[in-house]
Amino acid sequence: MRRIVSIIILIIIAVGFIFAFSKIPFGKDKINVANYYIKKGIKQTGAVNIVTSVVLNYRGFDTLGEVTVLFIAAVGLGAVLFVERKIQKNMDDKEDKTKRASLILRTGSRLLFPLILLFGAYIFVHGHLTPGGGFQGGAIIASGFLLMYLAFPKQRINKKTSGLAESLSGLIFVGIGLLGLVFSGYFLTNFLPKGIPNTLFSAGIIPIIYIAIGFKVGFELTGIIDDLLERSR
Amino acid sequence: MVNPSLLIAVPLAFAFSIPLFGLVSKKIGKYIPVVALLINVGISFILIPQILKKPAVVSIGGWSPPFCINLVVGPLGVFLVTLISSIGLLVAIYAISYIKEEPTEKYHMLFLLLITGATGIVLTGDIFNLFVFFEILCISSYALVAYNKDKEGTEAAMKYLIQGSVGSSFVLIGIALLYGMFGTLNMADIASRVTSADPTFLFISLAFLITGFGIEAAVFPLNAWLPDAHSSAPSSISAILSGIAIKTGVYGVARMIYTIFNADGILTFIAFLGLLTLLIGEMSAFRQNDIKRLLAYSSIGQIGLIVFALGIATSLGVFAGLFQIVSHALAKALLFLAAGYMIYRVGSKSIDSLSGLGRKMPLTSFAFTIGSFSLIGLPPFAGFISKFSIVYAAIQVKKPIFLVFVVIALIATVIEAGYFFKVVQNLYFKEGKNVDNVTETSGYIIVPMIILVISIIVIGIHPQFITGLLKGAAGELLGRTGYIGWVLGGS
Repeated sequence: MRRIVSIIILIIIAVGFIFAFSKIPFGKDKINVANYYIKKGIKQTGAVNIVTSVVLNYRGFDTLGEVTVLFIAAVGLGAVLFVERKIQKNMDDKEDKTKRASLILRTGSRLLFPLILLFGAYIFVHGHLTPGGGFQGGAIIASGFLLMYLAFPKQRINKKTSGLAESLSGLIFVGIGLLGLVFSGYFLTNFLPKGIPNTLFSAGIIPIIYIAIGFKVGFELTGIIDDLLERSR
Repeated sequence: MVNPSLLIAVPLAFAFSIPLFGLVSKKIGKYIPVVALLINVGISFILIPQILKKPAVVSIGGWSPPFCINLVVGPLGVFLVTLISSIGLLVAIYAISYIKEEPTEKYHMLFLLLITGATGIVLTGDIFNLFVFFEILCISSYALVAYNKDKEGTEAAMKYLIQGSVGSSFVLIGIALLYGMFGTLNMADIASRVTSADPTFLFISLAFLITGFGIEAAVFPLNAWLPDAHSSAPSSISAILSGIAIKTGVYGVARMIYTIFNADGILTFIAFLGLLTLLIGEMSAFRQNDIKRLLAYSSIGQIGLIVFALGIATSLGVFAGLFQIVSHALAKALLFLAAGYMIYRVGSKSIDSLSGLGRKMPLTSFAFTIGSFSLIGLPPFAGFISKFSIVYAAIQVKKPIFLVFVVIALIATVIEAGYFFKVVQNLYFKEGKNVDNVTETSGYIIVPMIILVISIIVIGIHPQFITGLLKGAAGELLGRTGYIGWVLGGS
């Protein structure tokens, strides 16, 4: 009975969905807002990557929100998985059952780790020029840390430092927004000179915010991995 | 004029900085939400008279709408922000000494971000931005429901997480449909174009959005998560969830129906749903033995009443619904805070174990009694005025169906009175068993309760303090052309 009801509900939703999508005139040039971004984006924001100009300038407030969502996810996971230090010490005393990683993994990850970090940094520093940005760069950096966790399960990042880096980069984002409010009366305005498009030092506040996001996302995702690993032991 | 974007930026900055303050001293963390929300309360009170004169449209990033995200601070926004920051502030004061379980630093961060999310929801004028803040609110409340790390809380949080994610996805689908159709995310811009679209298409996207927000608002039949989540969270969080969080869901539904879609046709249905929610909530509450579950079910009932009032859709009806939002937020926050500390002192959630506390904890019991009397709708408390206005507004519609609705709503009130009197009777007129060592609360715990009691009585006796603001807010919901005009200029 329950199954039949849920199948009926699903069918109703699917029919509604198909009908609604069939009404949308896809491919027609009706999107004012998008056209505005494409035509004026580079001139107004200085970022040649139009996606970045939308994400960090026209809709920068959303990005601040998304960064906060990720922050909440990391903090919330930390709160829910929190174990008292006492229990943890007992756990450390016990024989650690994790197997040592293989020689290939250990050597390989030692070699790759700095390169991955460098690549991640490259992605977020060039967010206003090439595809990618703070979130992507941060995720790459976190993947480097994940590799290190796999190769050396007993080693840990310094939770305190990473937490501080997280808050500091979040504060930089909000702070830049507030500076915009001070200098030109609008929160998150691009108040710095736009520079020459296609160069590294262009697009005003965009690269600075992306660097902050890169650090924040990198440390947050690493923190999540660390929390999960700590709990699974 | 103070820039309203500070209302979001300030608590966000403080929330990010809590770990940095933790470097100086571990004890500072718990005072940060109080400071941040004190600033917010200050800003919102400064804004009220200015906004009532002239609503503000604040661009973020410096471009003109619809090309950037903008905040629309009208009477409705400023009213809800004031309510959110005030209740948030009181609960933050309560939490200073109530929250003892580690990691308190993370609790205070999540709490402040939850309030930021609620603030963002009611201020933003961009539908995707609304979704982002909705996520901030929801995800922090999932984590906070599980904060006690007991089995009950984890299970409740998991239920809430699953149903809440379905709700968020529905909202996102609705937004995607609207964006596909109109190519814009600005709420006023969409509202000005809805007439050009196919009615069935509009109905489907509205259905997705209302279902999504309806889950957070806990409107029947989407309320399965609420009793568990509200009763197993720490009491300070229950107060915020019942007082603030579910109201933002109602705000979402109201904003969609009134401002964006102008969907007059479904309002009677919405009123009917509200009534059904009211009846089911109150009937389930009547059967509870667990004080926090009782309060949680009573929240479902009250939300039903609010939705019913908003569904009446006359200016008096919407006004009454908004008034009910105020009186429920004050009373339910008070009830959860009082009950939370009684439970803490007695060590049990069952109503029987609270017997005899009237003598041992006179202030807390008195606060609980005032809260429940206001919720039932006894004069001279705030709840009386709001309930009376709802009944009056429903009768004034002069449709026979609404007369039936009024009778049902009154029956629900009688049920509500039944179970609250039972609890109060337990507090004062029954001999307690194991309450000899129980002592009265003190310090940070009692201050917010006293403030809430005073505001319930003051608003009950002098409703004119808030009626001006509420009338403006009702006008904003009913006057969508005005709203579009503020944002897009002209017409």
